[in-house]
Amino acid sequence: MEWNPETLQFLSQCFLHTLSPQPEPRRAAESSLSEAADRPNYGLAVLRLVAEPSVDEQIRQAAAVNFKNHLRTRWVPSNDLNAGPTFSPILDPEKDQIKTLIVSLMLSSSPRIQSQLSEALAVIGKHDFPKSWPTLLPELISNLQKAAQSSDYASINGILGTANSIFKKFRYQYKTNDLLLDLKYCLDNFAAPLLDIFLKTASLIDSTASSPGGGSPATLQPLFESQRLCCRIFYSLNFQELPEFFEDHMKEWMGEFRKYLTTNYPSLESSGDGLALVDQLRAAVCENISLYMEKNEEEFQGYLNDFASAVWSLLTNVSQSSSRDKLAVTAMKFLTTVSTSVHHTLFASEGVIPQICQSIVIPNVRLRDEDEELFEMNYIEFIRRDMEGSDLDTRRRIACELLKGIATNYKKQVTDIVSIQIQNLLSSFATNPSANWKDKDCAIYLVVSLATKKAGGTLVSTDLVDVQSFFLSVIVPELQSQDVNGFPMLKAGALKFFTTFRGLIQKPVAFQLFPDLVRFLGAESNVVHSYAASCIEKLLLVKDEGGKARYTSADITPCVPVLMNNLFNSLKFPESEENQYIMKCILRVLAVADISSEIAGPCIAGLTSILNEVCKNPRNPIFNHYLFESVAILIRRACERDASLISAFEGSLFPSLQTILANDVTEFLPYAFQLLAQLVELNKPPISPSYMQIFVLLLSPDSWRRSSNVPALVRLLQAFLQKAPNEVNQEGRLNQVLGIFNMLVSSASSDEQGFYILNTVIENLEYGVISPYMGNIWNVLFMRLQNNRTVKFLKSLVIFMSLFLIKHGATNLVDTMNAVQDNIFLVILEQFWIPNLKLITGAIELKLTAVASTRLICESPVLLDPAAARLWGKMLDSIVTLLSRPEQDRVEEEPEMPDIAENVGYTATFVKLYNAGKKEEDPLTDVKDPKQFLVASLAKLSALTPGRYPQIINENLEPANQAALLQLCGIYNCQIV
Amino acid sequence: MADDSPASHRRDPIKSSVGNVAAQRRRQNAVTVGKERRESLVRAKRLCRVGPSGDGDVPGEENDMVTDEEGFLLDAQTSSAVEDLKSAIAYQGKGAMQKRVNALRELRRLLSKSEFPPVEAALKAGAIPLLVQCLSFGSPDEQLLEAAWCLTNIAAGKPEETKALLPALPLLIAHLGEKSFLPVAEQCAWALGNVAGEGEELRNVLLSQGALPPLARMMLPNKGSTVRTAAWALSNLIKGPDPKAATELIKVDGLLDAILRHLRKSDEELATEVAWVVVYLSALSNFATGVLVKSDAILLLVERLATSNSLQLLIPVLRSLGNLVAGDSHTTSTVLIPGHEITDGVIKVLVKCLKSDHRVLKKEASWVLSNIAAGSIEHKQLIYSSEAVPLLLRLLSTAPFDIRKEVAYVLGNLCVTPTGGDGKPNLIEEHLVSLVQRGCLSGFIDLVRSADIEAARLGLQFMELVLRGMPNGDGPKLVEQEDGIDAMERYQFHENEDLRNMANGLVDKYFGENYGIDE
Repeated sequence: MEWNPETLQFLSQCFLHTLSPQPEPRRAAESSLSEAADRPNYGLAVLRLVAEPSVDEQIRQAAAVNFKNHLRTRWVPSNDLNAGPTFSPILDPEKDQIKTLIVSLMLSSSPRIQSQLSEALAVIGKHDFPKSWPTLLPELISNLQKAAQSSDYASINGILGTANSIFKKFRYQYKTNDLLLDLKYCLDNFAAPLLDIFLKTASLIDSTASSPGGGSPATLQPLFESQRLCCRIFYSLNFQELPEFFEDHMKEWMGEFRKYLTTNYPSLESSGDGLALVDQLRAAVCENISLYMEKNEEEFQGYLNDFASAVWSLLTNVSQSSSRDKLAVTAMKFLTTVSTSVHHTLFASEGVIPQICQSIVIPNVRLRDEDEELFEMNYIEFIRRDMEGSDLDTRRRIACELLKGIATNYKKQVTDIVSIQIQNLLSSFATNPSANWKDKDCAIYLVVSLATKKAGGTLVSTDLVDVQSFFLSVIVPELQSQDVNGFPMLKAGALKFFTTFRGLIQKPVAFQLFPDLVRFLGAESNVVHSYAASCIEKLLLVKDEGGKARYTSADITPCVPVLMNNLFNSLKFPESEENQYIMKCILRVLAVADISSEIAGPCIAGLTSILNEVCKNPRNPIFNHYLFESVAILIRRACERDASLISAFEGSLFPSLQTILANDVTEFLPYAFQLLAQLVELNKPPISPSYMQIFVLLLSPDSWRRSSNVPALVRLLQAFLQKAPNEVNQEGRLNQVLGIFNMLVSSASSDEQGFYILNTVIENLEYGVISPYMGNIWNVLFMRLQNNRTVKFLKSLVIFMSLFLIKHGATNLVDTMNAVQDNIFLVILEQFWIPNLKLITGAIELKLTAVASTRLICESPVLLDPAAARLWGKMLDSIVTLLSRPEQDRVEEEPEMPDIAENVGYTATFVKLYNAGKKEEDPLTDVKDPKQFLVASLAKLSALTPGRYPQIINENLEPANQAALLQLCGIYNCQIV
Repeated sequence: MADDSPASHRRDPIKSSVGNVAAQRRRQNAVTVGKERRESLVRAKRLCRVGPSGDGDVPGEENDMVTDEEGFLLDAQTSSAVEDLKSAIAYQGKGAMQKRVNALRELRRLLSKSEFPPVEAALKAGAIPLLVQCLSFGSPDEQLLEAAWCLTNIAAGKPEETKALLPALPLLIAHLGEKSFLPVAEQCAWALGNVAGEGEELRNVLLSQGALPPLARMMLPNKGSTVRTAAWALSNLIKGPDPKAATELIKVDGLLDAILRHLRKSDEELATEVAWVVVYLSALSNFATGVLVKSDAILLLVERLATSNSLQLLIPVLRSLGNLVAGDSHTTSTVLIPGHEITDGVIKVLVKCLKSDHRVLKKEASWVLSNIAAGSIEHKQLIYSSEAVPLLLRLLSTAPFDIRKEVAYVLGNLCVTPTGGDGKPNLIEEHLVSLVQRGCLSGFIDLVRSADIEAARLGLQFMELVLRGMPNGDGPKLVEQEDGIDAMERYQFHENEDLRNMANGLVDKYFGENYGIDE
């Protein structure tokens, strides 16, 4: 794309139209832009447009955003074929020009464009800095120094912001020599200029703040922002280890750090935004000193006392305030680090721990307005933080972390003090429950959060209170409250307590509360009905000693109708239409309860109506997964009890499944195929015509184009082959099936799936039906053997040949193969069967291949021929290896590169439905023990020509295998003579 | 998918890619950004206050403290001393030589007078070209000595002051030769040592000008002071990061023997300098490491560790030993064979260091042990049954972070068998069970909580061993009791993908609810 007035005109027009409220011009502009984006120098042209002062600011902004996104996808296009469409990369000359222009452009732009370009620059930096962009850092530094001279803080902060984003990688990558070399380069160049600007800004802040009135907020704001950025860069550069320069200048840094923690800046802090800005700087300081405390404690210890007391007094103030979260959190983290370090004795003096508990921990654990707001406005986020551990950075959680930190060295003191605090909070609640309900919430939160965390519903312990009596006196009254909507946060806390300590609550007590839990499903609060559902769901998973479920179907069946009714009803509450906690509870109940037809009917109706709804716009994959899993388990368990229900299920589900297929609801296709497979398997032949329509669809190559569908389609095809073998042999369908096999087996990523189909064909169809196709099948397999021979393929091939032999005899196997090429059977046997047999794993596969191989050497004329004696011996050697050695001694894990099959459109992934799973079937039920089968067959064979086989064995078997064979003969009392 | 935000909370299918616990030997990173931890005695640049051969004439009573006025005065005196030198050089008459020497001595005296020599004043006055002139061939030894001494102290200054010596380097190197008067050669070595201590760039200049061979030859005789200075200068010169100089040094005829001889016989001060040479040889050059390992070096280092109590000496000796163990598997497989006397000796000295009060010794000793513990089963058994284990267990719960991390590598290595590939290591149940029973798990879980991602990885790897390997399926219970689930859940959304997958994989595998399966 040439840079000329026409291009300028074209791009300006396009970007203008992308802002249009009318969909048509907008879409047209978007599509011409995405077309233009494939042309060389497109990025450069857009960047030039951004720089063009004559163009309207609005257009340039849109262009800057587009430029950033263009770089994101094309600077180094992703190799991951699953990640979506591939983009043509930006070419090197264009890249070089962009790199030359971008820094100065960014610095001279307006703030909004600057932030876009800074992000774009970070995208480039992520890949190219420093090795492929040696000019960047010098350019930034010289600009920084220039801007510092004129105190141009717009530019200074732009440069620091950019430096901050390109240095971030030092924060989370493993320490390797390459990373350290990059870091060293950055330190050598940037450490000193960073300190210069930091100190310069510090003195500007000092002089401004000490002027009358404390300086204007407008002057101070960019200065504080600048210091914050310096602190973040400090953090990145110091993360891996303490650099020499920073050690040498620790005093300068720490001096300013301390100042920001202990000084107030009234002219800024009087406004909310100003306070937030100063607090952000303080929080960044706290992160830096925490880092030093943790990793460089020896060098830092001289500053520790000052910082500890500074942070403590800061926290005492901050804890009383309702906002200031980030600062409270980082400051408490610092104290936590100190409490677990070698300098924990700072906490040892009389009265320190009680005071921390009183003035820092309790105020931070108390509910604040923000928590209440979140509880009401965004229940999903609230639950994630409250129950699922996404609360790493909440004040409540970090305050408890601080207590835990102190308890590592002062357990008894902490336990004693917190127990007293809990009692105080509860008595305060008792004096006036409706005014002081937050005290009770605080007490419950402390007990739950300080308990040692357990997973999977096993015991949870706490030293703070006696769980049983706390439950009875504090929690049960909440759960038995008749008003399910009163004090919802307290109810949520009580339900959370019940869920957390479910293992410790005795069955009769818990069981008595079951109707109350069911009742709370009707609470209006999303959190409360979610917690009630979650509590029921988790209770049903509780195991007693010995792994037996504590609550059985007999316990819950009486209340299942009400329970199910309430569960489906709670999905009608606003915002809970796709509530995953409720759906998971439905799944669990269906897994445990007795599914009578009275229950099955309403359930399938309820589930299909939800299914029809979510088909319109699949949003929450977790909810949807539990939904399909629920359908699958309902079908399975109900039909196990009463096979006649199948047609009712078909009647309800078919329309929904057809919608999914007809509308191509990509996300749901794998689920739909799995459910169909489940239904087909439950059917008794002859299969109904409505399935045959689906069978036709299944055989069309289009269905197989998306790799995410393949496992589910194979599963469905297998079901058809088993249940409707006769239909398969009509209208040339078998040819189509084998076409699918051919396609799948040709690629290393799907060959296993191809063999599943082939094996099912061999197992379920008469020999007369398949024999005309065998030549073709062998041709396909030999072709693949020649082109791309992976270990996985070879194993599958051995299994297939074995299965064929078992089903249709050795002679058919040998003859059909040799019909393709003279004598090829022995070649395949020697080169592939014998060496790969020992790699077979899995009980069914092992038995199958061992028995087939045994029959081959005992029945097949080709191998009984004296000329084949050596092969006979080698085959036996391999069989004995397979049968006598433990798996790990025979099989070496071969790392295989998965090659990714062709993907069409965007990806939906295949997720297996556990409850619609296929049962593994053993094709060889008449043989129980392959070892016995081997020695018995050998004994029989050798009796025909005594003396012949011991010699062959002696000549061809490894000594260890000879010994193993002898041992087997002993065990089964057979003799090879 | 229509909306990917809920999906991002779904964990990846179990991918418990928990790899080796340490398992491989770890060398120190070749690149460092941290301050070089050489104690003050052996700092990279040294001022020469008293002549190397002890014949300096700086009166002892002179005061180190220089006030501002004195500093100002000193600068003025220095400028005029340089002027005097200039005129002394210009003077061609009778007694010219003595005049030059006197002027040089005066300048040298001023440059040696205080901790903060007036280098800047000397350079400003134009001292360098004059001093270079004084180094010219055929000059009397006394003149050469004084000039080199002046240059030594100028080179001990700030980086750009050191760089000012560039024009003098060829002559300083030339005077190192065997034909030079020994004190002159030694003084030149000192000046060059300071230059080499400045950094990679100047080191490369010195190497390209051929400074290494003559300095190396100065180490061969048994002359205490000369060897000490040469060794110190060499340790600066071969610091790398390019290993070429170290390899070149070990190839110098007779050098290996000289190193061994000095390590065996010399006093602690000299042994310290020589040990620093061994540190850099073994840290940088695989070739040098290979040569050293096949010599008596390890034995001598162990003897020094056993007999000395000088921290200054113990640090480089211990680090040399560590480098030799980490750098060449030959060390553990054929020298430190369990059952041999030397192996017991090594364990013994390492235990001694673990017991010391000095954290550097504790840390480095743990590092060495971790590399021995990466050896054969027999090595693991040897350490496991030694006095080291109780010490290590205590350090794991009480020591500062950096030591705890090293200790964790030792304990982790004791619990796994050596593996070739990067599959999951097999564990040594006896060691694992006993160490866990003695309370080490909480120490590892603390590492998981730390901000250091390598320590966190190690902690997770150990947790995986416990989860997988404790008999009767006790692992999950133990991890729970130590609040390990909470520690792992911190990585649920961590930016480091490897750690995130490891932690999530472990939580899913051992604590996941596996719905549907547990019906």
